[in-house]
Amino acid sequence: MASSTGHTNAAPRELVFSRIFDAPRALMWTAWTDPAHVARWWGPNGVTNPVCALDLRPGGAIRVDMRGTDGSVSSMTGVFHDIVEPERLVFTTNAFADSEGHPQLAVLNTVTFAEHDGKTTVTLHAVIVTSSPVVAASVAGMEEGWTQSLDRLADYLGYVQGEER
Amino acid sequence: MATDHLSITFTALADPTRRAILARLAQGEATVNELAAPFALSLPAVSKHLKVLQRANLITQGRRAQWRPCHLEVAPLKDVADWVEHYRRFWEQSFDLLDTYLRELQDNDKDAEKKNGQ
Repeated sequence: MASSTGHTNAAPRELVFSRIFDAPRALMWTAWTDPAHVARWWGPNGVTNPVCALDLRPGGAIRVDMRGTDGSVSSMTGVFHDIVEPERLVFTTNAFADSEGHPQLAVLNTVTFAEHDGKTTVTLHAVIVTSSPVVAASVAGMEEGWTQSLDRLADYLGYVQGEER
Repeated sequence: MATDHLSITFTALADPTRRAILARLAQGEATVNELAAPFALSLPAVSKHLKVLQRANLITQGRRAQWRPCHLEVAPLKDVADWVEHYRRFWEQSFDLLDTYLRELQDNDKDAEKKNGQ
């Protein structure tokens, strides 16, 4: 069985989780970077991906059209930022389109692959970023982390949500 | 959930001073003076931040003329948390499918090896 850990990190806009897969890293890299492979697993349960286009180079476009069980199609678009075979992929995916379809926000995804004993640990770190200059700064390693003060805010949010349940 | 609303929330949350103000308000209501105290900021500068937070519906300000204490409003933060949960599910389920797919690939390889060996 694959084991998995997931938690929302200190900040509500940040997400980190990792899973150990029973597969070597070379195969894992192919599964993440070859569109024919990616189309087979990308997206939530029940989704098929009639279009899966990955331009695997910094600045290269990502487009996956996902068809839901009800037949509706939604596109996930994004851009590759950093590609270090076979250890790391950094890409943004667009989110929150306004009424004209322009994305207001992006999610900066950093996926790392670590091999040990023929298994591969995949760690996804996703952070919501507000604009392309921010994305550029983040990719350059200047991403300003959320402060400890936000830990307390997140605790409070968890507390309030617990109260509502 | 209104996406425009969410982007306003995220924009408001993008600033460290505003996050610190929210964290302070998570401890209980506070006046503008109290909120300004930990920062080397003028009252007008703090008021500017408060306006952004108010526009994002992250805080409300009382009407009592002298105190006008600020309160944290949790609903927009819950929208953020809901979106993060949605994104987490997207990847959790993708990882499940990836796990299954990788097994299929490797089983096929083994079958092919067996065939070649015969």
